[in-house]
Amino acid sequence: MIGKLKVHLPGGVQDYLPDECYNKRKVEEKIRNFFFLSGYDEVETPILEYFDVFAGIKTSIDQENMFKLIDPEGRILVLRPDITMPIARMVGTKLKDCALPIRLSYLGNVYQYGEIQICKQREVAQAGIELLGVDSAEADAEVIAMAIQMFLNLGLKEFQIDIGQVEFFKAIIKEAVLSDENTEEVHRLIDQKDMLSLERLLKELPISEDVRNLLYKLPQLYGDSSVLNEAMEISRNAEARAAVENIQQVYRILKGYGFQNYISFDLGMVQSFDFYTGIIFRGLTRDLGYPICGGGRYDMLVSEYGCDLPATGFAVGIKRLLIAMEQQGCLEEIPRIDVLLTFTEEDRGKAYRVLQQLKNEGKRVEMFLPLKSAVEPMTYARQKGITQIINISGSGIKKYNVD
Amino acid sequence: MITIALSKGRLFDESVRLLTDAGLDCSELEQPSRKLIFYTPDEQVRLVLVKPSDVPTYVEYGIADAGIVGKDVLMEEGRSLYEMLDLKYGRCRIVVAGFPEKRDTWITRAYTRVATKYPNIAKSYFSSQDKTVEIIKLNGSVELGPLTGLSDVIIDIVESGRTLKENGLVVLDEICPISARLVVNRISLKTKNTEIRSLINNIQRMLEEKKT
Repeated sequence: MIGKLKVHLPGGVQDYLPDECYNKRKVEEKIRNFFFLSGYDEVETPILEYFDVFAGIKTSIDQENMFKLIDPEGRILVLRPDITMPIARMVGTKLKDCALPIRLSYLGNVYQYGEIQICKQREVAQAGIELLGVDSAEADAEVIAMAIQMFLNLGLKEFQIDIGQVEFFKAIIKEAVLSDENTEEVHRLIDQKDMLSLERLLKELPISEDVRNLLYKLPQLYGDSSVLNEAMEISRNAEARAAVENIQQVYRILKGYGFQNYISFDLGMVQSFDFYTGIIFRGLTRDLGYPICGGGRYDMLVSEYGCDLPATGFAVGIKRLLIAMEQQGCLEEIPRIDVLLTFTEEDRGKAYRVLQQLKNEGKRVEMFLPLKSAVEPMTYARQKGITQIINISGSGIKKYNVD
Repeated sequence: MITIALSKGRLFDESVRLLTDAGLDCSELEQPSRKLIFYTPDEQVRLVLVKPSDVPTYVEYGIADAGIVGKDVLMEEGRSLYEMLDLKYGRCRIVVAGFPEKRDTWITRAYTRVATKYPNIAKSYFSSQDKTVEIIKLNGSVELGPLTGLSDVIIDIVESGRTLKENGLVVLDEICPISARLVVNRISLKTKNTEIRSLINNIQRMLEEKKT
């Protein structure tokens, strides 16, 4: 049994073969460069962290979904299930005296157990940004605009950013004064947009007509910007109104950038509402059944690590992005080798210098390695689609085009 | 174009009728055929026929934008979906059943064996009751469990209760009522809003007309 595993991979991880790896790197380079030019400094945190960094913090990461190890002192380590929390730890402990705002970016793998499905892999490559120290709508708009611009730069044409605001839901729930159990059930039904069960449950709860009506409408408050007006009309609660006003501010900024066609809204988007504290959003494409990016405001997190800083950010799943890009025809082929270099043994030194020269010119070059099977350079070049052969010999440098 | 996943199970006839009433031309589906993929004549809707327990899978992956499936399957599969409408047909109940003489003692025993097609539902039901049980997964004729001594009780869906009665079994506890549901992929609802919204509205109108 053990011997058999030698040629297998554990569930949820994958090899990246040349074609996919080339595109993955290309995408990562473009994203890295875009973040860099936008004023975000890249940071790296270790893949191994103490379990305590992630435990006890209200997040969507269940502790049973973390890869755990025990260190020699008996403490529990985990393979990081997320990068936002390590960055919050890093900022809270090592960057707290930096001038605000702090703009950070990262690219790296995160690890989570869970049911293995396409794109819910156990090793997930992510890229993301965190904007710390500013709690204004401008900061939220900057992060969302960064996501939109990133998709545009990568060549995606068809995508949308679905924006919600968890404080809207939280304000209504606060006014309703429900038990934890009922809150959880109302939350679940709103999240599933299960109108019938929600109606049934709300009828039984001791809440005002106003609150009942709002909670019942919540799952339906999705679509274009008209849902924001509708939400404003039906809510009297000041905090709920402030939440809607906050989305409207963000939307006005994004509209000013010409991004209105990429934006939709869903006030019933209430996933991870105990982690997020304001705007939340997801990136969607028509042909994928799951989001390609996600983010939002999390003002309570950094204080867990000793420094009270508001923060907002997003992460994109590289694999999901690659699938979306493939569907929209944005992937590239690996560029072929430009030149195959052949030479006689006494000219090896000269050939090597020519080789370096060609690389300096940005050419992809290969030195011809004769095999036992004695394939001719011309045949080999044809097989590999190399268009030019350069031969170095005592009599000089000769170029041949491969037909 | 949107894709709807249907199952060739107990909900099939009613589902075809519902979709037809909601304005979809499903005539191709009513012909005897071994095909698994059908299109409405205007090619606006694609229908795929899958196993009942696979409906939530197709919808969660976004291969199907919507699907019609029993609440029992949804509870068992536990997928992340929008559960948009209760279609009110295919009504039955999920129950614990066993021999009548177990009526008062089955759950008080320290160790109960439960045969079921729904191991996840069984697990969450018994853990909510703080009971330790052994769950035996069967793929059909679950009533045989207590009859052959494989299990003490069963968890299954019951429509009229006739099968139970004929096998000398009674309902020991009701877990919950079941009916057919319209489920929608979480992304499709947003990215194909117009098409899906109109499907939902049409079905909802049908349901309300039936009610009155």
